[in-house]
Amino acid sequence: MIWLVECLLLVVACVLYVFCLPGRLFVGPATTRSGYLRERKDAIYENLRDLNFEYAAGKVPDADYASLKLSLQDEAATLLAEIARLEKSSATAVDRRTKA
Amino acid sequence: MAQIGSFALLFALVCSAYCVIAGVIAIVSKRTFAMPLGETARRAGIATFALVFLAALILVVAAFENNFSIAYIFHHSNRDLPAPYKFATLWSGQEGSLLFWALLLSAYGLVLRLRYKTDVRLFACASVIISAVQVFFLLLLTFAARPFAVMQGSLPADGNGLNPLLQYPEMVIHPPMLYLGYVGFTVPFAFALGALAMRYPGEKWIRITRRWTMVTWGFLTCGIFLGAHWAYSVLGWGGYWGWDPVENASLMPWLTGTAFLHSVMMQEKRGMLKMWNIWLVFATFWLAILGTFLTRSGIISSVHAFAQSPIGNWFAWFLAISLTVFIVFFFRNKSQLRSEHKLESLVSRESSFLFNNLLFVLLCFTVLWGTWFPKISELVQGNKVTVGAPFYNRVAIPVALLLLVLTAVGPLLAWRKTSLESLRRNFMWPTIGAIAVAALLMITPQTWGSPFGLKPWQDISYFYSLMAIALSLLVTLTVASEFYRGGRVISKHTGQNIFASMGQLMHRNTRRYGGYIVHFGVVVVIIGFAGAAFNQDKEQEMGYGDKMIIGSYTLVCRSYTDDDSPNYASQWAVFDVYKNGKQIDTMTPVRRFYKASRQTSTMPDIRSTLDEDLYLVFEGFNPENGHPILKAHLNPLVMWIWIGVWIMLAGTVLALIPNARASVRAPVAARLRPAHAEPVIAGD
Repeated sequence: MIWLVECLLLVVACVLYVFCLPGRLFVGPATTRSGYLRERKDAIYENLRDLNFEYAAGKVPDADYASLKLSLQDEAATLLAEIARLEKSSATAVDRRTKA
Repeated sequence: MAQIGSFALLFALVCSAYCVIAGVIAIVSKRTFAMPLGETARRAGIATFALVFLAALILVVAAFENNFSIAYIFHHSNRDLPAPYKFATLWSGQEGSLLFWALLLSAYGLVLRLRYKTDVRLFACASVIISAVQVFFLLLLTFAARPFAVMQGSLPADGNGLNPLLQYPEMVIHPPMLYLGYVGFTVPFAFALGALAMRYPGEKWIRITRRWTMVTWGFLTCGIFLGAHWAYSVLGWGGYWGWDPVENASLMPWLTGTAFLHSVMMQEKRGMLKMWNIWLVFATFWLAILGTFLTRSGIISSVHAFAQSPIGNWFAWFLAISLTVFIVFFFRNKSQLRSEHKLESLVSRESSFLFNNLLFVLLCFTVLWGTWFPKISELVQGNKVTVGAPFYNRVAIPVALLLLVLTAVGPLLAWRKTSLESLRRNFMWPTIGAIAVAALLMITPQTWGSPFGLKPWQDISYFYSLMAIALSLLVTLTVASEFYRGGRVISKHTGQNIFASMGQLMHRNTRRYGGYIVHFGVVVVIIGFAGAAFNQDKEQEMGYGDKMIIGSYTLVCRSYTDDDSPNYASQWAVFDVYKNGKQIDTMTPVRRFYKASRQTSTMPDIRSTLDEDLYLVFEGFNPENGHPILKAHLNPLVMWIWIGVWIMLAGTVLALIPNARASVRAPVAARLRPAHAEPVIAGD
């Protein structure tokens, strides 16, 4: 019958661990569109770094380098513009709430 | 003890089920109780690990205590079994290996749940999916394959013992490695499905699972090659890969997992192939479960598949349910997975990844088709038709050669598009080098059993070998040029010597250069495989003083002796090995008779060098005249395979190390650099 007591202790220990929660729980930041755009921006910057390095290593001819860099920079510009727009609109929303 | 083990598994099932139900409610609900409920779900997942660990510990302790009242211990252990094999009892039978699977899954789940602060919602979703898989395994362990079932009637004095083929040191680590690989692919799958179900924007799940996937891939690679080495060292047929269904079962998720590791870079860098990647990661998970179904159900005959058992139906249902759930989420949320860019040129890094993926998937499909062909032919024609090595080799060898081409070409192509000038600049010297070596191999005098003097028109296997060696050199040269060019840039900026610069280069982008080292390891493995075209073997009755000549070796039979240990009785054959008239070694192939299981097995003796392996098997005695029989194999370049695997693993470990910060500035400043943007720097 000792095994029954041991099983009961096991249940009590598990239930206490699962249901006795600390006072404050970790929430973490929310996922937003601008957060996603920043991720994409980081990826494009990394691509630019790679391209610069490959150019310095002599793997990419001048003409290819110029055209690839330009297209990456255009892509980054589009993203930065959208990030700026989102930040501006969220700042405006905060201002409105403060004034109200 | 058995009762506590059974109860721990039952309660682990309750905790896992709670984790799924409470987790789903917490994710879906917007009410205030959602957060604490989600936290209890996370904790229930952690408790599951503790309970499954306790159950596994009880089973191992029972093996060490020779507790034959537990049926599993009686069937898979005996009193005289050495301690490491008693530990391995945990995964040497069906119930134990399922328990081990559940333990590994809960351990992966534990790590995931402890790291939940990285992204609470995404981790909660992944935790629920892992728990759902865990529920399936715990249901199996509680109702269908019970590791703590007790023996009926009087208690036996000794157990049946471990299968003799499994009593080999590598067998203590091969299954854990393989299982760590199989089970580990559940984690990237859980994150992928979680991100899809939540319509999670971006590629965060890929960044989170990058290391998990690499670790898992490393374990699976290690497990597969340990299995190959075990087959080579124990089974006594002179080969390392036989396209056995169980071998195929481990290869299929490896192929799709490797494809995923490559294609995921396209999603990270260019936001492309999102649908493809999610299917690949699901296919990898699904194929790992399918492999288990294959080995557990007995539906397909194999050397090491278990006999027909009812748990095959459980797996079939689980496969069907998981496929349905995935398809439902995929079609509901596939708008989330639209590519951000299109393929701009056929000559680009993207297209090389795409072709690489298609080849891996083609190879996987071939293996899947060949493995299931006996069953399919039985259903269609009424009789089982088994396909052998020639079927697989007809597809696998050309595909492997094409993959080698892509391994050489891919890293040197630019993202988006590559010009002819760039191709000429990057490929001219490596291609000339590879062609020169191929020509050299053809014009040198022929040496039997080596790749010199290869005449590719004489035999298709020679053609393949020549291509494999030439393409391997091409890959090696392109990898070397990547290191050299990168090292030169750093050397120019820092003034360090080229080798120190290459070290710094690796540390700055461990993933890329670790990947190149893995590619180099693959090349070394392929050279080892290419040696198989020159294998020789010979079988002969060998009395005292008899001679056998194979390749450049002469074997002289010196004696036969017997030996006895508590676990097994042995018969040793002793051969002197001569080369060029000089004795270079003494080899002793063995036959063992395992007392508990009353089974006989052979233990080949292998003399390995970089050139070739001399592989001797004592096959037993001719039943007609009682003369001992020796089989000798001469297998060129086999050691290269094992060296290549070590290099692959070293590359994987390097790829897991975090990058050092770069300090070399770009030669050309970016046109757009807003004040808050990070500087665009070179060197990584």
